[in-house]
Amino acid sequence: MKRSVPFEIFRYTAILAAIAVILVPILWTVSMAFKPIGEWSATGTDLTWWPKDPTLSNFRLVFGESTNNLIVALDRTALKPILSSLLSASFGTAIAMSAGTAAAYGLSRFGSGQNLPLALIQLRLFPPMAVMTPVMIMWAFLNFTDSWWGLSLIYGIVTLPFAFWLMKTFFDDMPREIEEAALVEGCSRLRVFTRITLPMMRAPLASAALFVFILNWSDYLIALLLTTREWVTVPVYMASLSSSMTGQLYGAKAALGLIAAVPPVIMGIAIQRHLVRGLTFGALKQ
Amino acid sequence: MSAVTATIPEDVMKTVQAKPTLREEGVKLGFRLTLPAQILVLFIAVFPLLMQLYISLTDWSPLSGLGWWSAWSLWNNFANYTDLAADARFWSALKRTATVMIVCVPAEFLLGLALATLFADEFPGKRIFYSILLMPMMVVPAVAGYMFFMLFQSGGPVNDILSALSGFPVTIAWLSDPTLALVAVMLADIWQWTPLMFLILLAGLVGVPGDQIKAATLLGANPWQRFVTIVLPKMKTIIIIALAIRVIENFKIFDTLYIMTGGGPGVATETISVYIYKLTTQDLIWGYVAAIALAILIVLSIAAVFAMKRMARAREVPA
Repeated sequence: MKRSVPFEIFRYTAILAAIAVILVPILWTVSMAFKPIGEWSATGTDLTWWPKDPTLSNFRLVFGESTNNLIVALDRTALKPILSSLLSASFGTAIAMSAGTAAAYGLSRFGSGQNLPLALIQLRLFPPMAVMTPVMIMWAFLNFTDSWWGLSLIYGIVTLPFAFWLMKTFFDDMPREIEEAALVEGCSRLRVFTRITLPMMRAPLASAALFVFILNWSDYLIALLLTTREWVTVPVYMASLSSSMTGQLYGAKAALGLIAAVPPVIMGIAIQRHLVRGLTFGALKQ
Repeated sequence: MSAVTATIPEDVMKTVQAKPTLREEGVKLGFRLTLPAQILVLFIAVFPLLMQLYISLTDWSPLSGLGWWSAWSLWNNFANYTDLAADARFWSALKRTATVMIVCVPAEFLLGLALATLFADEFPGKRIFYSILLMPMMVVPAVAGYMFFMLFQSGGPVNDILSALSGFPVTIAWLSDPTLALVAVMLADIWQWTPLMFLILLAGLVGVPGDQIKAATLLGANPWQRFVTIVLPKMKTIIIIALAIRVIENFKIFDTLYIMTGGGPGVATETISVYIYKLTTQDLIWGYVAAIALAILIVLSIAAVFAMKRMARAREVPA
């Protein structure tokens, strides 16, 4: 189709405007992360879009290294929260992916667990806040509160719907001829699943796992409710970064925000082909 | 002759035996494979729900000194439910949640649809623009909340941009003004979730068969007519799904909002999730929290059943 010049001009203007709006918050955070303390809360005429005096001191501060121009040293560093986020998000992903993949295969091939799709969508329907009270009671009873394994378990359950639906659409799309050939050769059903189907599904499995990991990594509310001190995650720790002496630690928060934001953005761009399927519960095959 | 008759029945026997065992094996394996997921769902759905129902009938709180299992001694004759009906703060939080939804979801939809239309065909730079446009939805919501918290400071960049545009020094205290705080929160939500609408709608737009559009063009339809009569009807299902997802997620709005305003100033940005959060962690009246939670769950479940029926009907109609 031939395109008109005015339309192309309109297209690029509109897209560039949207991109400008999208980039302002991100660029401001990046610039904040590299500003020395004196420029953090600069207002009015002092407000600078780019750090006049770029520094890494914010990053050093969150990792516990007190620098000359920062009076406060935090009572703990970001290392433990980063470890906590990594552990709980990874193990949560492992739980969701193993239970979800197995169930998806069971339903896709043998029709078992017909009730699961709806149950799992309903799991996503409710505001997490509305179901967290009993979870808090249960976790306290099981001694899971403020631990990475407790977080992993709840993350695994909360993201199970996404793992299940993504894998189910992938299994539904996979041609069955190869599996049938292996069955004819005398392989058992389980062997077909573990030796043939799973290895063939390596790429979809990886993108589903990344997807679930992003969701776990992004959580704030659940970690806020289920961790108190030892195993707070990065978002919870970031929100707590302010002190009576300095007020909001803008630069430190921005630095930590950047650290928290970078992995999902990179992973998300890597798996953007599968994002639609994941987010729509496979209701829509791209 | 005898060799042939000897082998054929054996082969037949084998297949006859093999088929049921293979199917049985499949049924057994299918059951075993879905078992972990079933257990996890039961663990998080059934037991907590019963516990919530039980606690919601009492005055139990973690400060009451009783284990939750002996909460029955604090039975209060459905007082939590009657309180809920008269709880003005609850109803205004619900209204606020609805307001945010009514503003944000259509805004995200229209912006997303407009962007998706611009991306429907190939043009130079498409891939890189596309990747940048998707970035907000991958930013951790808590971090996005903090980004917008910084942007809307009275000496922050938003006011700076407004000053530059208007020529006057603008120093609006966005987050401490009851109306503007809600506006700021909604802008953050639109920033973060328009890309999701864009992504889903673009996937739908690409799926619209090109030959029908071509045929309509030959018949003299202008772009607007083509869009309204062919593209939109074809995208019906996808539009419903996109809207449903955002309505559900927007109803739960918490992370971004709570970090930006903490529900304040006063209760000006207190949505349902924030209200329940405060009751849970500050007021600690868990019996009442359970009652609110159950009420919401019941209403949402009914809404969901209705919505799903309608969606199923929409899909039956050949688009």
